[in-house]
Amino acid sequence: MQGWLIALIVIGVLLLVVLIWYIATMNNLRQLKVKVKEAESGIDVALTKRFDTLSKMVETVKGYTKHEAKTFENVVKWRQNMPDELTVKQKEEFMEKMNQVQSDINVVVENYPDLKAEKVFTNLQRSIADVEEHLQASRRMFNANVSRLNSRIVTFPVSIVAAKINMQKYPFFEAEPAKTQDVKMEF
Amino acid sequence: MKEGLQEHQAKKKRAERIILLGLPFLGFGILAAVLGTTEALGEWAVTVGVVLIIFAVLVFVLGFALFQRFETNFKHEFLKDYLSGLVEEGEFVPQKGFGKIQGLDPADVYNTEFIERADRFYSYDFFRGKIDGVDFVSSDVKLQRIEYETYRDKDGKIRRRKKYVTYFHGRVFHFDFNKDFDGHVLVLERYKPQTRRKYQKVEFESVDFNKKFRTLATREHTAFYILTPHFMESLMKIEKNHPGNLGFSFIDNKLYFAIHTGKPTFSVRPFRRLDEKLLEKFREDVGLIHNLVDELKLNRKIFKED
Repeated sequence: MQGWLIALIVIGVLLLVVLIWYIATMNNLRQLKVKVKEAESGIDVALTKRFDTLSKMVETVKGYTKHEAKTFENVVKWRQNMPDELTVKQKEEFMEKMNQVQSDINVVVENYPDLKAEKVFTNLQRSIADVEEHLQASRRMFNANVSRLNSRIVTFPVSIVAAKINMQKYPFFEAEPAKTQDVKMEF
Repeated sequence: MKEGLQEHQAKKKRAERIILLGLPFLGFGILAAVLGTTEALGEWAVTVGVVLIIFAVLVFVLGFALFQRFETNFKHEFLKDYLSGLVEEGEFVPQKGFGKIQGLDPADVYNTEFIERADRFYSYDFFRGKIDGVDFVSSDVKLQRIEYETYRDKDGKIRRRKKYVTYFHGRVFHFDFNKDFDGHVLVLERYKPQTRRKYQKVEFESVDFNKKFRTLATREHTAFYILTPHFMESLMKIEKNHPGNLGFSFIDNKLYFAIHTGKPTFSVRPFRRLDEKLLEKFREDVGLIHNLVDELKLNRKIFKED
């Protein structure tokens, strides 16, 4: 076989290997992106659940104090003025606002032992604790997937593929230090 | 308690004495057989040697049978009450295990989804009770699989023989889990999933945890929901004391836990003293259950209705 033919075959094989690697890497990055998106929708579900439970809680404490109901109404208004698809930053903000309402409710409950003892309220507290756990799980899952995707994107030579398909680093879902710990609810 | 222990210690000594009795017969038997090979003594010495060795073996068999009987009696007459008293609603049944108690599924060990099906299945020393309101069930389990090995016989022909190899010998626990969850989660060290269920690998934010354990889940979210940072830390702590031998699974709102120790948990060995030290070891074994309940916060049922 002639030398130029061998060189051509070698180059062809090398190009094929590079092409396969490129496609595999591209698919892998896209799969990671899907996982990040899935995890983000998990956060959405948990945030919505928390919002619903919190609204029930506010309804229950309404009879005891007006202030918390007002704070919660502000959260509802804020959410209504936002687009349907929130950015990660906006979701963080949403979570913060709900945290505020919840801690306000906790303060109120401390002053009303009757309310604290009510079965409906205890059940709601139990639900909120569970919803919080789900939210934490979604947040951690999202951040773990984002971390994996981001580290892939910045690693050479994957970074070349990422740049070609316009894949960018994702922001983490940050939470207050207190929120990253296990949920502490008092009953 | 102490008197009961002394009484059993005396019975144990009796069985051990018989085992020891075999030793001089074995010694003289070997000596006679060896001397019989020299010209001075001849064949009769070999015969005497063989007879003595056979007698020694019979004495050993008798001694160990007596020891076994002593151990069974000890478990029934002493350990049963002792262990049952260590936990709330405690019940220790030495002769029974998974699959041998009415109401328990014989496949309870395989329900962990990470313990391989055995060709030979032994289960004994059943122990159940309640710790801090958390129900648990546990039992010693010994599992063996058939393996074939090839060897050459006297004529040089290659033959195959069957042998039983122990691949799990330890304790399996079931606990009521304090959270309701969808899906199945396995947290494994030395085991592999033994099911056709579609598991996916889950990587957590803790690099150390990912190195120690392989986590598989049918839903990634469930793995993150069950394995909170505190929970992972606790598993790491437990692992430190039993490295390389743990397996956890979270299935149908139950926590299954298996630990391979390579030996029975509540056993008495010949020529080891039956004293407070041994009881302390048993208490430590029960302490592992306490540890699991406390560390994993199984007693915190704030997510579940009673």
